[in-house]
Parts: sequence; structure tokens; C-alpha cells
Amino acid sequence: MGVWPYITIAVAVLVFVLGTRLSRSVTRIAFPFATAAIVVAAWRISCHLMEYDLRFPDGTVKRIPVFPTPFETVAAMVDMFRDGTIFRYTIASLYRVAVGFTIACVVGIPLGLWMGWSLRAHDALNPLVQALRPISPIAWIPLAILWFGIKDAAAIYIVVISSTFPIVTGAMAAVHTIPVAYVRSARNFGVSGFELYRRVLFPASLPQILISMRIALGVSWMVIVAAEMIAVESGLGYLIMDSRNANNYARVVGGMLCIGLVGWSLDWSMRRLERLDEVRWGFSKIV
Amino acid sequence: MKLKIALGAVVILGGLYAAHHYLNEKPQYHATAPSSDTPAGGVVRQSFTVGFLPVTCHLTCPVTSWVTRHSAKGTQFQAQKFTDFPSMKEALIARKIDATFMIAPLAMKLAADGVPVKIVYLGHRDGSALVVAKDSDIHTFTDLRGKTVAIPSRFSNQNLLMHRMMKQYGMKDGDILLKEVPPPEHPAALGAKAVDGFIVGEPHCSKAELEGYGRILYEMSELWPDFISCVLVVRQEVINDQRELVDELVRGIAASGEWLDADRATGAQHRKDAALVVGTQFYNQDPKLLEYVLMKPDRVSYSDLKPPKATFEEIMDLAVSTNIIPKRMKFEEYCDTSFAPDLETVSLPFDRMPGLDQISQQKK
Amino acid sequence: MSQPRIELRSVTKSFARRDGSLNVVAGIDLALAAGEFVCLLGPSGSGKSTILNLIAGLDAASSGEVLVDGAPVAEPSRRCVLVFQEYGIFPWATVRENIALGLRDRTTSEIESTVKRYVELVGLQGFEDVYPGELSGGMKQRVAVARALAVQPHIMLMDEPFGALDSLTRLSMRAELLRIWEREKTTILFVTHDVDEALQLADRIVILSPRPAKIVEEVAVELAHPRDVAGPEYGRIKRRLYERLGVSHAI
Repeated sequence: MGVWPYITIAVAVLVFVLGTRLSRSVTRIAFPFATAAIVVAAWRISCHLMEYDLRFPDGTVKRIPVFPTPFETVAAMVDMFRDGTIFRYTIASLYRVAVGFTIACVVGIPLGLWMGWSLRAHDALNPLVQALRPISPIAWIPLAILWFGIKDAAAIYIVVISSTFPIVTGAMAAVHTIPVAYVRSARNFGVSGFELYRRVLFPASLPQILISMRIALGVSWMVIVAAEMIAVESGLGYLIMDSRNANNYARVVGGMLCIGLVGWSLDWSMRRLERLDEVRWGFSKIV
Repeated sequence: MKLKIALGAVVILGGLYAAHHYLNEKPQYHATAPSSDTPAGGVVRQSFTVGFLPVTCHLTCPVTSWVTRHSAKGTQFQAQKFTDFPSMKEALIARKIDATFMIAPLAMKLAADGVPVKIVYLGHRDGSALVVAKDSDIHTFTDLRGKTVAIPSRFSNQNLLMHRMMKQYGMKDGDILLKEVPPPEHPAALGAKAVDGFIVGEPHCSKAELEGYGRILYEMSELWPDFISCVLVVRQEVINDQRELVDELVRGIAASGEWLDADRATGAQHRKDAALVVGTQFYNQDPKLLEYVLMKPDRVSYSDLKPPKATFEEIMDLAVSTNIIPKRMKFEEYCDTSFAPDLETVSLPFDRMPGLDQISQQKK
Repeated sequence: MSQPRIELRSVTKSFARRDGSLNVVAGIDLALAAGEFVCLLGPSGSGKSTILNLIAGLDAASSGEVLVDGAPVAEPSRRCVLVFQEYGIFPWATVRENIALGLRDRTTSEIESTVKRYVELVGLQGFEDVYPGELSGGMKQRVAVARALAVQPHIMLMDEPFGALDSLTRLSMRAELLRIWEREKTTILFVTHDVDEALQLADRIVILSPRPAKIVEEVAVELAHPRDVAGPEYGRIKRRLYERLGVSHAI
């Protein structure tokens, strides 16, 4: 292994120490890299710690690795990048998440608004929603297969089931916190029925709905591994399960990194939405 | 008020810890042997963990565990249940278990990937079947052309067997679509018509048969008489450092196998005992199902378990030709037959399984 | 006097609470003629806002009658709009969209011309496509007034509309409100706890007691606008108001 991981950690710590005296414009570039460097170095060291010597009776000694190193993982990722696997599978996963998440929004937002505004809808549906919400998507897998077979639909169902409830709950809570002044002036100006949802309840809840959508998108991206455990034969989750079955742990970790990076960029895109004029009023300007 | 909440949290955590420990921790059997067995007046017995999946292929594992649990001397073999092969494999790689039952080609693949393990014994003979939907018009192997068949894993010998059969019947790769499905889900997949057939270890074949939607197309003995499904794998480190222990384990497994097959012709009471013990104490399956499998003649046998070189060479050839294993390995690189005992010298010291009275008591 | 625009007859209002019922309004009799500007003056929490909600139809009286143009109030209507202290304008909509809130049943060109007219009236030209988050407090309040006027209500109920503004803005907003009132001839019922505000604006000041609200006295202010805040008549009425509010020793 050599001493590079230890040197890397030392350098990174030095960056953190010196960084406190530097301007934010420097640290916002330097600090993430320092953090990443420490993680990679610690990863390499932990690989080293997990290795062990196998001693044979005839005196020969063999070093047995247990976990893929950062380099092996990057090499596996480069391989998968070259042969197009990563691109193909990322598209497959994005497709399932996009469809599932869209369905979750289309169902979840109106349902949440309705349950938030109408006490009777709340009475009727809230117990059901709150009881279904904590059920792990993995527990749904057998039912998903029975209902939807072993194609995309089952995986999409898993995404839907795991992202709808955060949105419903978020939209409902958002309606509950709408300042009464908005509703009063709406009623005063003759807004009622569907128009009330369109002109007041929905736009007033939108900033909070956006936050719950952000959480839900994170969740749906997270459950893609579980969703793709279902006999589908593409996607980043499938890549991980398949590489696991094939004993290729460098690819497993490579797939995990990929999921992390794509998830991060999804979250970044969701945060861009917070800048829209229609919702900007609902976000503080600290960050 | 805050103090109350903090105290409450501590009480709840402590209570949950105690309750979980009491309810879910398995007994560790590090019990001291009776002083009469050891001149020194009692020593802590060794414990050794062996992995298994709840399938009949792995039956000798829990039987041996149960036997050593009810014997006063020797090593206690702990049977560690897994639900899938990947987790089992990872526990083995990370050295959390020392030995395990697993499908033969997976063991060979691990060895090929540099994981220091050796096959030391077989788990069983036969014990798998090719099952199709009861109402389907599939009656011969050629009828499977263009159909989907579930296999437990690409690293299962069931997969290699399908390739062997396809070649034998002049089919190309892909003429039968093979789909990896976790073994416990095979019957359900057939029931839901997600596959047209499946090939997997018992008791899943019998389950589909008993529940009425499955029909055994071929028993394994009809397809490949020398078929090997599961093997006993031990880590090289243990072989190097604790030879006697591995020896004791293999002798225990061999003895259990001999005992299971000893009275097959005369009522098979041994197998009924095993079905009750293993079904209720290890597999958490209906003992009736296990008994059904175990009582059928020729469905599974536990004799003749020394790893046969010729069959393994054939498996290796199939594995290489289907790209499961990149490079051919020599038999000695993944097999160690030196532990296989002379069957004349192994036997269990009883006729009926010990501890049966405990189980019937628990049932009430 | 012809038929009053607003008439309250022995109106009471109480709210059910966990510890019994809370009596907020205890028998109010009040009438406003069309085009009149009346201030409800009273200490904070004296049920002034409740009275406005009853007239706007956002709440129902416990007993008594609330009549607008001789008919009992049953539900909120655009003829009678409320302007709140916390603006009640929508932060997710532009100034234009906010002002057009009550004009949904008009044609596009009508909406356009009406919005244009009231934007000019409150002096917000150039801010039509701006979101309220970018406006100052006074500008937001002007949006609220414009939104209310745009529906050409018979009645404007104003609930301490300038309470959140700084004192200079408050003064200019008062002047602007008077200018608009003189032009539009809207009946205005204006709630405040600020004696000077009431004095500068109203034709008539109705003094309310602390909760439960009862009318203590009605004072007519027959001074021409703009009113001389240093004049003798102004000072006399002001002293009288403070007296009736029970704080005469404070000045």
C-alpha cells in the first residue's frame, strides 16, 4: 500500500487547519477535495487492515485481499464507462425513477392538498396513508412481482410506493401551515372550489411541496437498488446485484459511487427549482 | 420533565435490549462438558460455525449441528442460516464463518477469484428436479425450446446442467431462456406464470408439486446421474491451522448422511426424525413438506459424498465453456478430498434422533 | 337617512374555547351610510377585527343581525372586501396577478384596463410584473388596496392596514387613502387603535370598550381634509377621545 494514504490524510488535515484563515472562495473548492481525499485514503487503509496472510503447512505465505481498493474500483468504473454499461444502466434507472416519481407527484400532490384542506378527506384517508408510509419498499417486492410481474412496471411500482407518501404527507402538512390571511382574502374575492386549490392552496404550499419532492426524489433514487432486485436486467441497482452475484465487488462499489453521484446531481437540479419566482418567497436566503 | 424524558428513554432502551437479548439471541452452546467426560473436571467446548440455506441439499448441516448439540463431547457445530448465496459468500470472504454448504460452481468460482476456500465434501446426491406448470404442454426436454426456465444462480450446477442438456439436444445458447431467481421464489414464479419452468433444489420442487401447480418433468437422476448440486466448503486458513476440526466436521457430516440413508429400505424412521427436527428447529418450514421430499424414493440421497474428480472436471469444463469461470483450474486447486472418511469408520451413536421429546413438548 | 350601506343590530359574538366560551362582541348597534368613512377605535384585542369579519361574511354572528344594503350577510362577497394588516396578498403571484384576483369573470381586455387603472391609482406603475417579495411594506399595502378597489366594492373593511408600516410611510398612505376614497366614493370601515390615524381619516369615530366590545361613544369629525393636526378643534376631539379611552392622564 505504501505510505501515500497517511500522507494524504496529513495533507488534507493541513488544508482544513490552514483553510480556517483562507477566504470562503478558496475553501469551497479546497474543502470538498480534502474531505474526499480523507475518505479515499481511509478506504485504502481499511482495505489494508482487512487483508490477511494465509500460511500453508509448507511455509508459504499468501496475502489475501478482502475488499476492492479505490484504484480497483476506479478501474472497474472506467471499464464500465468504456463499454457503455454505466450509461446504459444509468438511463434505465433514471427512466424508472422518472416515471415512478412523476406518478408519485401526480397522485401525491393533489391527494395531499385535498387531505390537508378537507377534514373529512383527512379523516378517511390519513390512517391509511400513515400506516402504508412506514412499510419498507423491500417488503413490497413480493407483492410487486405478483401484481406487475418481472418487468419495468414492478420496479416502477416500488419507486411509486416509496415516494408517494413523503409527497402526500408533505403537501398535507404544507396546507396546514398556510397563513389564514391567504385563505380569507381568497374567499373574500370569491375564490372557492377547484379555483381555491389552483389559486391558493397549491401555490401557497408549493415551496414546502418542493422540499418534500426533493426528499421523495432522494428516496426514489435510493430505493432503485431494491426496485431493481426484481428480476429486471438493467439499471444501476441491477448492476450492483449482478456484480455481487458475479463476485465482482469492485463493480459493486463502482455502482454505488455512480448512484451517489447521479443522486447528488438530481438533488442539485431539484434545488435549482427553488429559485423560481413562484416559490422563491418560501425559502430563506441564508444558503 | 426533561429528566423524566431522559430516564424514560434509558428505561426503554434498556428494556428493549434485554427483551431482544432474551427473545432473539440463539443459545451459544459454549456449555461446559460434564465433568465426568474430562479428567480435569470440565472444559469449555469448541464451537465452529457452518453456514447453510434452508434447502434439503443442506440437510446434513443442521442434523450434524443438532447431534453435536446433544452430545457431551467434541466440537459443537453451529448451523448458521442464510437466505441467499451472496450473503453467505460474503460472510465466508470476510471470515465470519469458517465453512458453509454452497452450490458447487460458486465454490469453484470463489476459488478461481482468489478466495482461499476448498471443497472438502459433497452435500448430497440428486435432490433437484426440473419442474413445469402442471397444465402446460411441456412433456419432453425439447418442448422447452423458446421457454423461460428459472435457475437458482448462474453459478449453480442447475445452470450448467441446462447448458449440458441443451447441447445434448442440439440447441444453441438462448434457445431456452434461463433466468436467475432466488430459490425460495421459484414455486411462486411458476405459480404466477412468470416462468414456464424451474430447476432448483428441494423442497421447492415438491412445494410446487404439493400445491398443485407444478409437475416434475425430470428427476435429476434422469438428466445427469452424477449431478452434484451442493458441496461443503471450508476456508483454507482453517484447513491449514485446524485440520482436526475440519476432519471432525466432515466425519460428522458423513455420519449424519450415513444415518439418514441407513434405514431407507425399512421405513425411513431416521428421515422422519430429521424432518421434524430440521423443519421445526432450523428451517422454519412445515416438517410435512420436508418429510414428503425425504420419503420419496430416489429424490435425494446422502451417501457417496466423496468429491468425484471426473464429475468436477466435467463441471469445470461446462463452467469454462459458459464463461462462468474465466480459466480452467486443476481439481486440486479447488478440492481437497483428504478429509473424506472411510464410511466404515463413521456412524452416529444412536438409532432415533436425540432430543425429540423436547420438540414435541414445544409443540404443545 | 336613506337605507344604510352597513347595519349591525344588537350583534354579539362569542367563541367556544376549552375553558368555556369567550365573549368577544357584546351587543353592537351601528349603521354606515353609503360613502361614509368610519373608524372603529379601541384598545388591542377588543374584538374590532371580529366585527369586520362578521360584516365580510367570513364569520357568523352569535346573535343579532348583520345587514349590507338591507340584506343579511350570508357569505363573503366581492362587494365588501377586507384589507388586512398582514396584507393577504399572494407572494407567489405578481402585482398584476394579485390585483386581478377578484376580476376572474371579466374579459382579458377588461382585466388589463382595470389593473392598469388601479396600478396607476396607487402609484405602482412599472411594478406590474414584480413579485411582492421585492416590494417594500408600503408598496405591498398599496397592492392590497388596489386589489380591493379593483373589484369596485361598495364597502372596504380595513383592519389596521398600516399597522406594520414605518411612521412616514403610514402618513403618506393615509393621504393616499383619502385621495382614493374621495375619488371612488367607497364606504370605508377602518379599524385602528391609533387615535391620530382615526382623527386624520374618519368622518365619524366609533370608540369601542375593551373586550367584550361595546360602543362607548360615537364622535363626528366635521373637519375638512387635509386636517390641521395642530388646530384647536382637532386637539379638542383628540382629548375627548383619549378621555373616553380611559387614558386622559397619559397626555
